[in-house]
Amino acid sequence: MPVPALKAKDYKSGIKPVWCPGCGHFAVLAALTKAMAHLELSKESVAVVSGIGCSSRLPAYIDSYGFHGIHGRALAAASGLKAARPDLTVVVAGGDGDGFSIGGNHFLHACRRNMDMTYIVMDNEVYGMTKGQASPTTRPTWTKSKMTPHGTGIPRFNPAAIALAAGAGFIARGYSGEPTEMTRLLVEAIEYPGFAFVQVLSGCVTYRPDQKGWKEVVHPFINDVPTDDRIKAAQIIQADEGKATGIIYASSFPVWQPENQQATELSLLEEEFCI
Amino acid sequence: MSDNPEVVIETVAEFLVHALELEEASSDHYDELADSMEIHNNLKVAELFRKLGDYSRQHAKEVHARTEGIELPQLTPWDFKWKCPSSPESFCMEEASYMMTVTQAMEIALFNEIRGRDFYQQVADNTPNDKVRKIALEMVEEEGWHVEMLREWQTSLQEEPPLDDLDPPNMPE
Amino acid sequence: MNNDNKPSQTTTSYSVAITGSGGSGAVTAGRIVLEAAAHCGFQGLMTRSAGPQIRGGESAAMVRFSADPVVCMGDYYDLLVALDWLNIERFADEIPLSDKSLIICDPAAGEVPAQLRSNRAEIREVPFKVFASGLPGGRINMVALGAMAMVCGLPLEALEASVKGVLRSKGEEVVESALRALSLGYNHDRRPVSPPLQAVEKRKVWSITGNQACGVGALRGGVRFVAAYPITPASEMLEWLAPRLEKLGGSLLQAEDELASINMIIGASFGGVPSLTATSGPGLSLMVEGLGLALVSETPVTVVNVMRGGPSTGIPTKSEQADLDIALYGLHGDAPHLVFAPLSIHDCVFTTQWAVQLAEHLQTVSLVLSDQSLGQSQAIIEAPAEMNMPWRRVVEEVPDADYRRYQITADSISPVTLPGTSNGMYTADGLEHNELGTPSSMAADHREQLNKRLHKLEAFDYGDDWAQIDGQGVECIVTWGSCAGVVREAADKLWQQGREIRMVAIRLLAPLQREKFSQAIAGADRVLVVEQNHGGQLFHYLHAQGVLPEQAESLAQPGPLPLRSGRIIRALTA
Repeated sequence: MPVPALKAKDYKSGIKPVWCPGCGHFAVLAALTKAMAHLELSKESVAVVSGIGCSSRLPAYIDSYGFHGIHGRALAAASGLKAARPDLTVVVAGGDGDGFSIGGNHFLHACRRNMDMTYIVMDNEVYGMTKGQASPTTRPTWTKSKMTPHGTGIPRFNPAAIALAAGAGFIARGYSGEPTEMTRLLVEAIEYPGFAFVQVLSGCVTYRPDQKGWKEVVHPFINDVPTDDRIKAAQIIQADEGKATGIIYASSFPVWQPENQQATELSLLEEEFCI
Repeated sequence: MSDNPEVVIETVAEFLVHALELEEASSDHYDELADSMEIHNNLKVAELFRKLGDYSRQHAKEVHARTEGIELPQLTPWDFKWKCPSSPESFCMEEASYMMTVTQAMEIALFNEIRGRDFYQQVADNTPNDKVRKIALEMVEEEGWHVEMLREWQTSLQEEPPLDDLDPPNMPE
Repeated sequence: MNNDNKPSQTTTSYSVAITGSGGSGAVTAGRIVLEAAAHCGFQGLMTRSAGPQIRGGESAAMVRFSADPVVCMGDYYDLLVALDWLNIERFADEIPLSDKSLIICDPAAGEVPAQLRSNRAEIREVPFKVFASGLPGGRINMVALGAMAMVCGLPLEALEASVKGVLRSKGEEVVESALRALSLGYNHDRRPVSPPLQAVEKRKVWSITGNQACGVGALRGGVRFVAAYPITPASEMLEWLAPRLEKLGGSLLQAEDELASINMIIGASFGGVPSLTATSGPGLSLMVEGLGLALVSETPVTVVNVMRGGPSTGIPTKSEQADLDIALYGLHGDAPHLVFAPLSIHDCVFTTQWAVQLAEHLQTVSLVLSDQSLGQSQAIIEAPAEMNMPWRRVVEEVPDADYRRYQITADSISPVTLPGTSNGMYTADGLEHNELGTPSSMAADHREQLNKRLHKLEAFDYGDDWAQIDGQGVECIVTWGSCAGVVREAADKLWQQGREIRMVAIRLLAPLQREKFSQAIAGADRVLVVEQNHGGQLFHYLHAQGVLPEQAESLAQPGPLPLRSGRIIRALTA
């Protein structure tokens, strides 16, 4: 008897999320499990790796192998895991603070290293877990945080532009208010051979209630996307105010992956020391 | 998706797949809201969402019963002919809040149920298939009854003062 | 383990230093002498020293060889070969001479500096430049090498064999010219100065650095993934490992920084592949948060820290044992883990293998404290015997429905499922958790997991390898890591004087084997703790652990100069 196909729900672990009711991250969880079901991934062949923050709680809510590491280092842990275990489907999840601030360096190098994994950043432009401080993607004039009472006063981090400059081959943007479209993006991202970066605009109902207004401004890209032309992609990213969704850039670059083929025995290697 | 001008569903199998997905997504969605309201100590609203989840589950069961003997097509999540970015009864997630009152929760529920009813109505209006229209209209009636029930429920509710959050939020990590 | 009464006897050794301006071939000459000694059956050690320049500047090679294992440099050099006098004062502290020493130099290079003459060493002049310029492609370092071989009694054939080996890659002409220069230097003045060392039977020996030896230990322990960021003086371990890991079916990933490298090996180890990184003080400082994650998520990793002068950037090219404190206490929270220190270059193989396999078996963090003096020195050692250690990660291959990743067991080691195993899914977490791995801030869960992580380390039987103990005397020298070599030398000399010396060199620093340590020093009426740092880190650690007698003394000397046996003997004679 054939094993009945798993449904999205079957990929949920049953642990109830700590997220606030209304949090955009619920939609990401739903979209990711739908994507897993669509791709018919076996649960044990998937590893979800994260850092610290509200969104980084995701691995525990998915019935697969998970690694909930330390703040900012999810991509590093995932890169080591993928290097050692190329057979696994590796999904990395985190927030804007985790990925673009404390983990910014790893973001750059993961883009250029181009290992086969999917990186989902749930971007709500705020640090939720530490009570609402400004993040790298917060607009400079946002004054609601006590830590930056006059706003950060510095320009926002543009994730898609930086991913492109750092050499990522797959760049997409989704929105928690469009879970179906997000599912499609995630399916494409997981299937993409290489480092696939998906920025999800995922509103924070508690610290950024203004983000409810996103549904008025989020729209699909009006340009021809995806493009495989870096120059065009750069133009599209720079021309847009950061609220357009879809796959922006999909190109093909060599994937970095060690071969892990044994060719000799250690005792033979040790002979080099003999005199 | 939103760029489809009209929803045209041609076969009973296709229609049932949509109905099943709508009701299952709806019950999952309400369950999730109920869970998170429980976690955030808004038990009254949790109870409401739990009930709505049960209704949708009941509905899904009924739709499931209609699928007996019919081979259902496999649709990818983005092949469903919704006119909105998610399935019709699962929208408005961001309107939820841990401090919402039962009245406010009821508004979300009503909005969802009306959209569910409208979806079935559109199918009935646009389908070339009589059998599909017949089932769709039955569903419209059922959803309509749901909407009425919710409205009655709503009017019986006393307007509550908005909930207060006397303590600052937690910093778990 | 050598616990018998009668300590080994010192036989004579020979120490030579070769100095010159950078590029003059002092280091190549040193390597050739070392290998020639190996061809004669000797064991040996070569350290090198250089100015801060990448190329040029000045450099020195120091070589000591003996029929016995050579575990440190001597107090004085028998021979200084000066290819020229450029910045020789830089090395004056590092190359102590006595009135029994000999200096070989070229009169064409100018006067012997007054500073060296003051040692009243004998001076023998050899016209390096004249001989070299008389040969096509002639090099002064090869002429000097010949003269040196004659003085220290190494046969010309051994030098020739070594020249052929070391210079082979440079082509036949270079080798031919070198051999002729060698012969000119050798035959110039045939008065041997030192009595030749007792000839020994040729044994199976290795020529290896401590960094390479740690690499061998890592591979023997099963390491198949390394992620690392380059840093002095650890990089050579990584450079040695990279191509060899590939041949063994593993890989090395050069990370963007040390924060990445520690987390990468944690990720790889979570995938089931034994993993390691190597670094030095500044890198270890960056990794510390990751060590806590590995420890709490019970993901085995090994970090080899090749210590250098600290704190901060410190003295990157020189040795110091000043990272014991950070290794023991650097982590936040109650974070018991394993800390090891290899006692010699030879021991780097054993200790690193042991560290890796215990990290795997105990699902914890192993820190291996090597240092620059071990890592970057070249040694001729007896080939390290293969050690068959039974310890492996306890893997659950067929988990049942009730599988709990952090299950409390009798030995507190919970069998782990590896990704890919059906029904074994769990989320490893740096958050405190319950037996299932679910995050928990409950007092009972925290206490249970704290106990588990401590108990698995405390309950394990580490056997006799926790230290090397020699002699049963009433004067006890306690040391750790690389200082074991010079302590051994001091002990040997004191034994020869008839002193009742005992030495305890600690290899496993954490968890400290308190009872075994107390037994090891029992009956001593004097205890001296010897280490190469400023603060007496081991001394204070042992006191904090309550295992040192109140009157114990500390001899703590910071780098960059190596500790000499005479300093230890003086401390015990005072």
